[in-house]
Amino acid sequence: MAEDVGTRNAAAGSGDPEVLSSRRTRMKFRGRAVIIPPYVWLLAFFLLPFLIVFKISLSEVVVAMPPYRPTFGDPSEWWGALRQLTIDNYLWIASDELYINSYVESLWIAGISTVITLLIAYPLAYGMARAPAGLRPTLLMLVILPFWTSFLIRVYAWIGILKPEGLLNQLLIAIGLIDEPLLIINTHWAIFIGITYSYLPFMTLPIYASLDRMDHSLIEAAADLGCPPLKAFWTITLPLSLPGVVAGCFLVFIPAVGEFVIPDLLGGSRTLMIGKTVWLEFFTNRDWPVASAVAVVLVAILVLPIVIFQRYQARAGG
Amino acid sequence: MAPMKSLGSIRRDFAPWSDRDAKPYILFDGVTKQFGEFKAVDDLTLTIYEGEFFALLGASGCGKSTLLRMLAGFEAPSRGNIVIDGEDLAGTPPYRRPVNMMFQSYALFPHMSVEKNVAFGLRQERMPRDQIAERVDQVLRLVKLENYASRRPDQLSGGQRQRVALARSLAKRPKVLLLDEPLGALDKKLREETQFELADLQHQLGTTFIMVTHDQEEAMTMADRIAVMDQGKIVQVATPEEIYEAPNSRFVADFVGNVNVLEAKVLRAEGGRMSLEAAAGFTIETVNAVDASPGQTVFYALRPEKLRISGEPLTGSNVVAGEVWDIAYFGHVTSFRIKLDSGEIMKVAMINATRVSPLQLTWHDRAWLQFDDDAGLVLTR
Repeated sequence: MAEDVGTRNAAAGSGDPEVLSSRRTRMKFRGRAVIIPPYVWLLAFFLLPFLIVFKISLSEVVVAMPPYRPTFGDPSEWWGALRQLTIDNYLWIASDELYINSYVESLWIAGISTVITLLIAYPLAYGMARAPAGLRPTLLMLVILPFWTSFLIRVYAWIGILKPEGLLNQLLIAIGLIDEPLLIINTHWAIFIGITYSYLPFMTLPIYASLDRMDHSLIEAAADLGCPPLKAFWTITLPLSLPGVVAGCFLVFIPAVGEFVIPDLLGGSRTLMIGKTVWLEFFTNRDWPVASAVAVVLVAILVLPIVIFQRYQARAGG
Repeated sequence: MAPMKSLGSIRRDFAPWSDRDAKPYILFDGVTKQFGEFKAVDDLTLTIYEGEFFALLGASGCGKSTLLRMLAGFEAPSRGNIVIDGEDLAGTPPYRRPVNMMFQSYALFPHMSVEKNVAFGLRQERMPRDQIAERVDQVLRLVKLENYASRRPDQLSGGQRQRVALARSLAKRPKVLLLDEPLGALDKKLREETQFELADLQHQLGTTFIMVTHDQEEAMTMADRIAVMDQGKIVQVATPEEIYEAPNSRFVADFVGNVNVLEAKVLRAEGGRMSLEAAAGFTIETVNAVDASPGQTVFYALRPEKLRISGEPLTGSNVVAGEVWDIAYFGHVTSFRIKLDSGEIMKVAMINATRVSPLQLTWHDRAWLQFDDDAGLVLTR
């Protein structure tokens, strides 16, 4: 072994191209080996389940167990089973306004919620990043603290706050701002409030990270060159925190589109977001193929912004 | 006060500080800056003249950066006034001051090209577009970066970034340019080259430069005058030669360059000459300009290169013998540490003027040292 190391070093020293290139291949392979586990993970827990859902979405609903046809049991019948797959469910979704409306509603509710979240999270993150260094860990802790309680319980608590005789209305009436209780629960406003509240940390943390990383002397340099503070914010701080803003927006928007619990608990029966539609198809109608097709279309709609996001990140990183 | 013949600036025709009628351009008048209980700058008064290249030299935490930041407007003085060109700057925010700063970290805007970085200050002035382009082109040419205008800062080397930072701070043609450790982030070779370029540039533009540095070599090579600072106060303001050859205290002598400081008692003092009895046990004969009476304890500061070393016994005055304790060969200079018979260590530097030194001294050899009567300096503090 010692001899082997010796000769290898000697070869490297003399620059023997063959040894060098074989070593380079080995290094390259080791470098690639590191990224195998995450790929295996994604393959096992994302791609395979997705393919199963995709296959179900091409099936036909039947009253049976499992409640769809065909199933791939005996390998000798696979060809026949394959020929039974159909895109009828997708045509059905496209023809029924119910589905299109719930996609559209989900997208705009998620969009507005994302904007509200951004408007609250940015000043919050800015304040945190400018706070004395000793105070920052505490502030960071406070942002993460709500996660220590169950998400479901926290959303439930909002019913108590927002209902007509709830805490918010009692407070507003007590201070004389309103005479009659505001109807917030079971409206879109309740959903906006619920999503904004629940997803605020996902927006705050990436923005905080990008602001915290920023060199404060850049702001001083801007001032030194004659730029007043407000303008320095628009020309220096904001552009440099944009990667954090974009990351935060995607972290809020993407899960908010598929959100089920918040619209179900706070939005009442009139709101129909896509998460709820999937739930209804799956559990109430027991129509797995249509539910799967709805889910697949949702993934397709969301992949687009994710790809844009990745492009943006790659460019910012490069 | 200085006993030397004549110690001027490197630019011998430029010495407004010795002209009684010269108008101060920048004035710090009794300026104090306190952070809680800590006085970063302590009742400091200083005048700087137009066109001067001025260096604030000191160890970290001596208050030099705070002084610069007060001039730029990032810190407000707790007491005292700062005046530039007759205008009191109290209450003027940084973005309305006629000074520009080159930051130690360069603080280049990472999302803007070199051109946009340099144009940033001009855009704030709402200068017409064609004039901005012209000015940017001009300053980029000045720092020899005209071919890099469209690059982003992360596509430049450290030296190039330093030049962009310089170009950006010069673009607005400020009355005063502030440089915070301008060469601190460069490697040694590049730093030496840039020192001369920066000094040339300053002479060419005639802009007043104020530089903060902890590197005495940087201050010595570039500045017209140096202020040596310690604990928020200025210890001495003088030209580089004066700082080196006529330091006013042990602190300055020790901070700038190498020095042997010998404690001594005054034996006789008359007619500009003095005899001292060194604590190391020998007599020093020296020319002198300080006021000290016989019996008083003073310090005799002697630079290593002003001592002669010999392997043979020497005769005459100002001779002391010892043992070679250490030898360090630097190429251009050989540095000896000689342990005197009293136990004190004397540093001696010998210029290697010939390739083969006639002096063949080695460890533990006996050596004799001699110095002229005007080689050292008597200090009282």
